[in-house]
Amino acid sequence: MQIETALLVAFLFGIATYLILQKSFVRILFGFVALTNAANLFMLAMSGSPEGRSAPIINDSPLPSVDPLPQALVLTAIVIGFGLTVYLIMLLYRIFLDARTTDSESLFKSEAGDE
Amino acid sequence: MNSLIWPFLLPILTALACSLAFGLPGVGRRVFVALSAAAQFVLALFLAVRTFQGEGVPLVLNIGGWSASLGIVLVLDGLAAIMLCLATFISLICILFSYAETPVRFEQPLRLPLMQLLVAGINLTFLTGDLFNLFVAFEIMLVASYALLTLEANDQDIKEAFPYLAVNIFGSALFLSAAGLAYALFGTLNMAHIAVRAAEMGDAFSVKLVVVLLLVVFGIKAGIFPLYYWLPNSYPILSFSLGAFYSGLLTKVGVYVILRMLCTVFPHTLDGIYGMLSWLAGLTMLLAVLGALSRDFIRGILSFHIVSQIGYMVLAIAFFTPLAIAACIFYVIHHIIVKSSLYLIGGTGLFYNRSDSLARMGGLAAASPWLAALFLLQALSLAGIPPLSGFWGKYLIFATGLEGGRYWLVGAAVLASILTLISMLKIWLAAFWQPAPEGGVSKPTPPIRAMTVLAGVMTCVSLGIGFGAEPVFRLSRVAAESLMNQSQYQEAVFSRLGKEAGQ
Repeated sequence: MQIETALLVAFLFGIATYLILQKSFVRILFGFVALTNAANLFMLAMSGSPEGRSAPIINDSPLPSVDPLPQALVLTAIVIGFGLTVYLIMLLYRIFLDARTTDSESLFKSEAGDE
Repeated sequence: MNSLIWPFLLPILTALACSLAFGLPGVGRRVFVALSAAAQFVLALFLAVRTFQGEGVPLVLNIGGWSASLGIVLVLDGLAAIMLCLATFISLICILFSYAETPVRFEQPLRLPLMQLLVAGINLTFLTGDLFNLFVAFEIMLVASYALLTLEANDQDIKEAFPYLAVNIFGSALFLSAAGLAYALFGTLNMAHIAVRAAEMGDAFSVKLVVVLLLVVFGIKAGIFPLYYWLPNSYPILSFSLGAFYSGLLTKVGVYVILRMLCTVFPHTLDGIYGMLSWLAGLTMLLAVLGALSRDFIRGILSFHIVSQIGYMVLAIAFFTPLAIAACIFYVIHHIIVKSSLYLIGGTGLFYNRSDSLARMGGLAAASPWLAALFLLQALSLAGIPPLSGFWGKYLIFATGLEGGRYWLVGAAVLASILTLISMLKIWLAAFWQPAPEGGVSKPTPPIRAMTVLAGVMTCVSLGIGFGAEPVFRLSRVAAESLMNQSQYQEAVFSRLGKEAGQ
C-alpha cells in the first residue's frame, strides 16, 4: 500500500510539473489541480500503512486505529486547495476575457512590446 | 486564558462585522474599522510591554485547553511582539491612507474586510507555535492578498496577478509536503517538540532536507534570489496604500518565519545551509537593485527595492551569530517603516502629478517642500546615510560580516547600498527637482494634506528609530537572545502543555 501511494504521489508531482510548464492556461490550471492533490495525498500517506489497523472513529474493532492527525490536517488542506483552485479558474477566465488568449507566452510578450 | 488570541480574533471579527453589519461602504464603516485597527495596535503594544517586562520569556496559550500533540499553541516571544506592533501600526496607517486615497463612493465594498483578514493572517503567522497552523495562517494571509491584488486591478494589469498566484500556490503545495515530511520525521508538528526531536537527530540528512524544503517555501514568500521574480511585476498593480502594506509586511513575514525556523526550531549547526543562504542573499541584493535602476516608475523602483533589502536581512541571518540576528531584527524594524513610508510618499506624489511614471512627474519640490523633505529623509535612510535608521541597520550587519571575515559579501552589500542611493536619486531628480510637467501640479487638497501628514508620522517614527538607535537595538538584542534560546522556548511551551509533552 505504501509503495503504491509513493508511486502515485511521484506520478502526480511529475504530471503537475509537466503541465505547469506548458504555455496554455488550461494545462497550467490542470497542473495546479494535480499539484494540490499530490501534496494532499503525500500528507495523507504520512499516517502510515493502514493494513491491520482500523479507521480512526469510535467502533468496536480490537485493532489499533491509524494515526488520525494527518487525516484531520488533509481535510483542512483539501478545503484550502479547493478554494485556491476556484479562485485560479476565475482569475484565468477573467484574463481570458480581457486578453482574448489562453496562451501565456503571447499574453506577456504583447506587454513587453508596449513598453 | 490570556489575551494572545485577540491579535488574531480582533481583525477577523472586524472583517465579519464590516461585511455583515455595515454591508456597503460608508463613513460609519470607515470609522469603525479605523477604531478597530487602533485598538489592535494598542493591544499589540500592551502585549509587547508585557513580553519585554519578562525579558523576552515567551507567553504561551493552549487553544481550547488541548494538550501537547493534539492542540495548537500560540507563543508570543520578543520578536513576535515586535512584529505584531509593526504589523498593526502599518495596518492602521495604511487604512487611514486608503481613506484619503479613495472617496467613500468609489470604495470597493470588499476592500476593508480583506485588509482586516490579511492582518489576521499575518498576526497568526507571528503567534503560532505549530507548523500546520503556520500553513493555515499563511493561507489566510495569501488568500486575502490574492483577492486584494485583483480587487482593483484594471483589465491591462490583472494578468500580472497570475504569476503571483501561480508561484504562491506552488509554494503552498511545497509547504504542505514539507509539513507532511516533518510530521513523518518528528512525529509532531508542534515547533517546540520538533526542536527537541531535531536536536536528538543531530546532523541527519533528513533534517537538512526538511530545512531546505521549508527555506524554499519561505524564500518564495520573502523573495530571495532566484525565487523573487513574481514580486516586482505584481506589486506595482496595487494602489499605493495597499502597496505600502504589502511591501512593508508580506515579504517580512517570510523573513520572520526563516528566523523562527533557523533560530528556534532547528539545531544551530547547519553551516552548509547558512553558507548557501549568504551567497543567495548577496545575489539578491545586487540583482534586485540593478532591476530597480532599470525601472522608470515609482512603484516599480520601490518594488525592486523590497527584494534588494530582503537580501540584507537574509545576509544577517546567514551570518548567524547572536549579534547578527539582533542586527537582522533591527533591520526589519527599520525597513518596514521606511519602505511603507516611501510608498506613502510616492502615493502622495501620484496625487500631485496624476501619474507615478517618472517621465510625467515633476515640480513636487516646489509644490510641496514638506513632501520633498520627507522623501529625502526616507530615501537617504533606505540607502544608509548616518544618522538615519538605515545606517545603523547596515552598520550592524557590515560589522558582523567583517568580524566573520566575509569581505566579498560585505563589499557586495556596500555596492548595493550605493546603487540604492542612485536609484533613489533618480526618483528625486525626476519627480521632485525637474520642472513641473505640462499639466502642472495639483493644488494641495484636504486629502493630499492628510496623506502628507500620515507620511510625516511614519517619517517621525523612522527618525525616532534612527536617533534612538540604542534602545531599539537593546530591544532587538533581547528579542534575538530569547529567539536563539531554544530551551527557554521549549520550557515555556512544555510547562503549559503538561506532563504529556515532557518526553
